[in-house]
Amino acid sequence: MDENQEREVARRSAYLYLPISLGAAGLFLLAANLAGGYPVVARIGGTVWVWLLSTIVTMPVITARVKRGLVR
Amino acid sequence: MNESTRRELALPISGMSCASCVAHVEGALRGLPSVSEVVVNLGTNKASLKYDPAVVTLADMRKAVDDVGYGVATAELTLEVRGMTCSSCVSHVEGALLGLEGVSAAVVNLDAATARVTYVPGVVTPRRMRKAVSDVGYEAQERAGGADALDRERQARGDEIRRQGRNLLIAGGAGLVIMIGTFYDMLGPLKAFVPVWLSYKWVIGLMTTPIVFGPGRQFFTNSWRGLKHGVTDMNLLYATGIGAAYGIAVINTLFPKAGFGGEGATFFESAALLTAFIILGRWLEALTRGRTSEAIRKLMKLQPKIARVVRSGVEEEIPADEVEIGDLILVRPGEGVPVDGQVKDGYSAVDESMLTGESLPVEKRAGDTVIGGTLNKTGAFRFEATRVGKDTALAQIIRLVEDAQASKAPIQKLADWVAGHFILGVHVLAVVVFVFWFFFGYRTFFDPNSAFILSPYRLGEIGVFGFSLLLSVTVLVISCPCAVGLATPSAMMAGTGKAAEYGVLFKGAEAIENASKLQVIMFDKTGTLTKGEPSVTDVVVAPGVDESTLMALAGAAEKNSEHPLGEAIVRGAEARGVALRETEAFNSIPGHGVEARVGGREVLLGNRKLMTERQVDFSSLMTDAERLEGEGKTVMFIAADHAPAGLIAVADTLKESSAEAIRRLHKMGFETVMITGDNRRTAEAIARQVGIDRVLAEVLPQDKASEVKQLQALGKKVAMVGDGVNDAPALAQSNVGMAIGSGTDVAKETGDVILIKDDLRDVIVALEVARATMRKVKQNLFWAFIYNTLGIPLAAGLLYPFLALVISPEVAGLMMAISSLTVTLNTLLLKGFRPSVRRGDGMRAESAGPQRMQPAGQPAGD
Repeated sequence: MDENQEREVARRSAYLYLPISLGAAGLFLLAANLAGGYPVVARIGGTVWVWLLSTIVTMPVITARVKRGLVR
Repeated sequence: MNESTRRELALPISGMSCASCVAHVEGALRGLPSVSEVVVNLGTNKASLKYDPAVVTLADMRKAVDDVGYGVATAELTLEVRGMTCSSCVSHVEGALLGLEGVSAAVVNLDAATARVTYVPGVVTPRRMRKAVSDVGYEAQERAGGADALDRERQARGDEIRRQGRNLLIAGGAGLVIMIGTFYDMLGPLKAFVPVWLSYKWVIGLMTTPIVFGPGRQFFTNSWRGLKHGVTDMNLLYATGIGAAYGIAVINTLFPKAGFGGEGATFFESAALLTAFIILGRWLEALTRGRTSEAIRKLMKLQPKIARVVRSGVEEEIPADEVEIGDLILVRPGEGVPVDGQVKDGYSAVDESMLTGESLPVEKRAGDTVIGGTLNKTGAFRFEATRVGKDTALAQIIRLVEDAQASKAPIQKLADWVAGHFILGVHVLAVVVFVFWFFFGYRTFFDPNSAFILSPYRLGEIGVFGFSLLLSVTVLVISCPCAVGLATPSAMMAGTGKAAEYGVLFKGAEAIENASKLQVIMFDKTGTLTKGEPSVTDVVVAPGVDESTLMALAGAAEKNSEHPLGEAIVRGAEARGVALRETEAFNSIPGHGVEARVGGREVLLGNRKLMTERQVDFSSLMTDAERLEGEGKTVMFIAADHAPAGLIAVADTLKESSAEAIRRLHKMGFETVMITGDNRRTAEAIARQVGIDRVLAEVLPQDKASEVKQLQALGKKVAMVGDGVNDAPALAQSNVGMAIGSGTDVAKETGDVILIKDDLRDVIVALEVARATMRKVKQNLFWAFIYNTLGIPLAAGLLYPFLALVISPEVAGLMMAISSLTVTLNTLLLKGFRPSVRRGDGMRAESAGPQRMQPAGQPAGD
């Protein structure tokens, strides 16, 4: 796999995992707002943490799949 | 894909520390076109694979490995190049070296007449480099004192130990000061010795920063490189753990009112100590991991570096790897034998224990073979080199042990798969833990007086986010599966190495695992249980004939015979000190025997049918003949001048070790079976004397495999012990094929286990080592998983509602370091293992009685 292909994999993967992780973080923020009683910092911090972990979970899985798809 | 163009390769990989690293490197290499059968071993730090050099290059593989955050280890070598005169010579030599696969850089210095070569060990050898240079018209020689494989391996390990040691010194030293500063208020009278400014949050923060971005940087860079290529590893767990602790601490120090818990929840000491403990784990791992591969190092050390070659009558010392076949080599007392060969003159005793496990020195005289790597004890001798370089017994054994250590047992594949998928699972769990404590747990259970386990530090005013994040981070840190990745390969390396010490070579980790599950041990008869060499067991003389006369006549008649029974009679006569005369006439009668004239007497020697046809009346000796035949022995009738002279019974002899081996196998709970092409009467006579449970007689060589299959169909795990040549199909069919008595030409042998010596007790050694190794694997997996199994629920706060205690990230880091250390130390206990046959627990003495005579085998059948 050459550098161009790798960039392509990274780009296509990001189109998939970023919306998913942002969606998870958004859901968290929505839930925290709906539950009420949480300080802003906790809501933002929690959202960032959930986004970070969701990215870490989805990024390798999706990148590997996209790479496999491209190699095929 | 054309199999013939495919090559095998063992790439040395650097930077791996856990089972997930194994999965990543495997994944990266598998992703390359034409690359297949990729097996990465954490213990040996090697990736074995097959590839098509027309499709993928070594550079592609290096890039793929580099891209996922690891490296392909390279070595450097300086060649002294003679014959270069100008700059074009430089480019020729450089071109020749760079044209070799495995050479990544070659810099030739014309003035110094040297070539500095960077290469991948295992892919290209110094010998090939020298040849490449000589092919373009120059002469090259390794610079004396250049690093050999052993030195390189030691150097690489030393570099890693030094690197992590340096990191530990920084992180540990600063971490200790941070710890003192953090707990300043609790120091009591000791406060007098500690400046108060050490407890200021910003001072602690300033001291933590270089730890996180210095020694801790490796976790961030490695995990980012992996993430970019779609892989996650342990470094990611550490990076998120350290990063989160440090990030929150910075926010709480700079913006105490931000709502993350304020100054009471600065986790600088967590970030610093977590880094220190993880590095402590890596340092200890680097320190101890190399010790499990000591067997290979011991074997490599055996190879003498210098050979004393006699060329044109002049003695000269040359590097051992430059010895060529046919060279005459002188070995003095106390010196090592540099290569394999055959003794030409001289006499000595050679210690071969390092290769065969044989404890007593072996006498060597003209005509005997010597093995490279063994130690000459007393006399001096000269020998002719017959096998050099990669063909020597030592090189073959090292390769076999290395291959075995690079292979994966089924249990390890499972453990690697679990560990590889574990990290993503842990991150999912970290999200779940965070969400639970954020939305429900904190509100319901949080107690400001709650504390960290093993710490007087109270959680105090920590907020919902800080508390949830703390538990989430601790889950990440405590879940590291590094010990799981080490559990199996470290034990397999120690086990295969231990077996090699005793002359037992396992061809793969799977063979060890299979050998530990066996129920039935099937033996070939001739050459395995017996010596495969018939000898005279009984002599019965006719009235008026004495034994020496009979043996003299029979020995002389058979002197020119090539039949195994005839040879046995000649040996029997010689053993009795009988002088054998030349025959005046000799005639072989196929299927019956021989006739000869000896000293003017007509001698007839053969079976009963021959005597009947020639009308020699043996009725007076027939009772003895039938008795001997009843014992399964082959009876030869001898007539002199048409009158009966006597009977000679011939039989194969049991090996000294056979009965003891069978007895020990029974003691260990194995069922024993003998398989032979011999007739049932002979086979059962042997089985009775050796104590075998079951006999499969009159089985043709080609049918032995189906007999094994029939036993397997009954659900039994069967090992076949045979000579490795005749029994190849049965060895292949069995769950574990053991080729016995192969000597040191191990490469040609079939079978999963090779027993170098011709000693059946080594079957016990193989089985005991296999059982001990698998026991160690299971213990290691237990220790590896028990930390995670107990640690994760604790870290997730399962006990918090009841005890109001949580584990701090740094304690979680310490627990993981201890789990790796426990596994490695437990494996090292295998170094003290001694097989029962080498402990002399009494059974050997039991079997040391007189050797019993056995019926002769039928060579065609076995």
